[in-house]
Amino acid sequence: MESLLSVRDLVKTYGKGANEVHALCGVSMDIRAGEVLVLMGPSGSGKTTLISILGGILTATSGSVRIEGREVVGLPEKELPALRRELFGFIFQGFNLFPALTAQENVAIMCRLKGVNSANLRAAELLESVGLGAKLKSYPADLSGGQKQRVAIARALAGEPRIILADEPTAALDSVSGRTVLEILSGLAREKNRAVVIVTHDPRVLEYCDRIVHIEDGRVGAEESRRKVEAMV
Amino acid sequence: MNILAWKNLLHDRVRLVVTLTGIVFALVLIAVQFGMFLGFLDTSANVVEHNTADLWISAPGIPHVNGGSPIAESKRWKALQVPGVEKAVNFTLFFLNWKLPNGAFETCQIAGFDLDSGMGAPWNVVEGRIEDLRAEDTVFVDELYKKKLGVSRIGDTLELNGKRARVAGFTHGIRSFTTAPYVFTSFKNAQTYMRLRESETIFILIRTRPGADLAAVKTRLLAAVPGVDVFTRAEMLQRTQNYWVFGTGAGTTTLMGAILGLLVGIVVVAQTIYAATIDHLKEFGTLKAMGATNGQIYRVIILQAVLAAVMGYALGISIALFVVNSTAETDLLIKLPWQVAVGIFGMTLLMCMSASLLSIRKATTIDPAMVFRG
Repeated sequence: MESLLSVRDLVKTYGKGANEVHALCGVSMDIRAGEVLVLMGPSGSGKTTLISILGGILTATSGSVRIEGREVVGLPEKELPALRRELFGFIFQGFNLFPALTAQENVAIMCRLKGVNSANLRAAELLESVGLGAKLKSYPADLSGGQKQRVAIARALAGEPRIILADEPTAALDSVSGRTVLEILSGLAREKNRAVVIVTHDPRVLEYCDRIVHIEDGRVGAEESRRKVEAMV
Repeated sequence: MNILAWKNLLHDRVRLVVTLTGIVFALVLIAVQFGMFLGFLDTSANVVEHNTADLWISAPGIPHVNGGSPIAESKRWKALQVPGVEKAVNFTLFFLNWKLPNGAFETCQIAGFDLDSGMGAPWNVVEGRIEDLRAEDTVFVDELYKKKLGVSRIGDTLELNGKRARVAGFTHGIRSFTTAPYVFTSFKNAQTYMRLRESETIFILIRTRPGADLAAVKTRLLAAVPGVDVFTRAEMLQRTQNYWVFGTGAGTTTLMGAILGLLVGIVVVAQTIYAATIDHLKEFGTLKAMGATNGQIYRVIILQAVLAAVMGYALGISIALFVVNSTAETDLLIKLPWQVAVGIFGMTLLMCMSASLLSIRKATTIDPAMVFRG
């Protein structure tokens, strides 16, 4: 598989002088289209910092992040929103849905943000694709955790992003809902050839992933292939 | 994005009610206080404003139109000889006692005018004819003061400064700034009521010839008629308004009330819009993380403020109009001309938008990475 996202010697340092904290210390990795990559590691190991830099939300101190060959480290601040809009879909542990909007409006607002024509129609199609065709007019408060996360997935898919970045997508879900969400995410990688990066502590994710990268103290530790993962599962 | 602004605003009903209450409270306070100020300007000098005289001759140093003192009526003949003067007539305005049917007294202001020229005549006559004032002891009063003066219809007879006064007609809406209503009568009758000598008047009103230079006529009058002051209509109007509206503190108080309303409005609206932004900070962070620009987020916040302003204005101006209409038949005049209503709309928009600036500042500093912090 081709490398969609290439990370080299990535460093992120917070603070200065005596207060300096090294969140990432020379991380290198490749993320390929069509694979589900899981980032695992203890709290404070740098996973969230890494996913934030990959998604153009945080800027790196040094190093290189190339997306489809294009260097994004060092891009001016004002170019980052467009980068996030065009390339990424985000899924959050807390769903981050807009409580005042219906499921369809939550997805449609992102379609409009990403310049998708017929936003309402496309939002309905996306919700249909995650099995929520009957919940278009429901508000987040009326949905279960699993349904909320599926709305969040539909929203992340607005604008057909090449890379899905998911932060603890199953942490707040029961086992059935968690599996449904993971099946949808792995389906996106396998059937739609998207790169899916999941930050998680949830062992249920392992059976759906292709690779696990362990992050420890801001460095890439062990990396396990799909075969090894299958053996573990 | 517009839908987010609209639905965010409607989603939290309690906050919406608080925001609208703040806007409505401020707006009603501003509209009513400013309307009262305009009403004060109007009522304090309406007898000057509706008087068609070009120049007023009075005793020297009078503070306002209601504070005149007698001058020799013979000065009128001197005034008539001044080039540029077409007409010079007598006019009185003076506080007198009006005896009510129950024997109590009310103070009124007697306006005695020249029936032939019509300078100083009442306006908005709704019952009776001005010509009826040629009869002895006849007066016109305003409908708004019927109860206060103890009259109800034409022909009612009371006592004015110890002399008989018969109601010959009614006007509508000639309010007095003081508690003393205006009572109109002929100059001759007024002389009798005021117990003025035949040779005395309070004012001499001048009508200039068409095309005459007002300032030049005034200068010539001052030179030709000794021991008097001469005022143009605008000068007398301003002198009177300044005395009653600003000299008494009434105008300053109402203007302060309007400014206070504006300040209260800004504080309440700023606080609620700021709190609403803080509540939605995570949503704005999510939008930023997903690629929304700062400009798009500002638009949501400003649109929320504009929508709140429009809703608040619709409610507030309706209440203000209700207050204005409910005082239409009282002696308190609150004016709300359309220009003021439009101005208040602009100010409401400005108030809400400036209140949202604080929130925008907060939104600028959102770290999109907050979305990953659970």
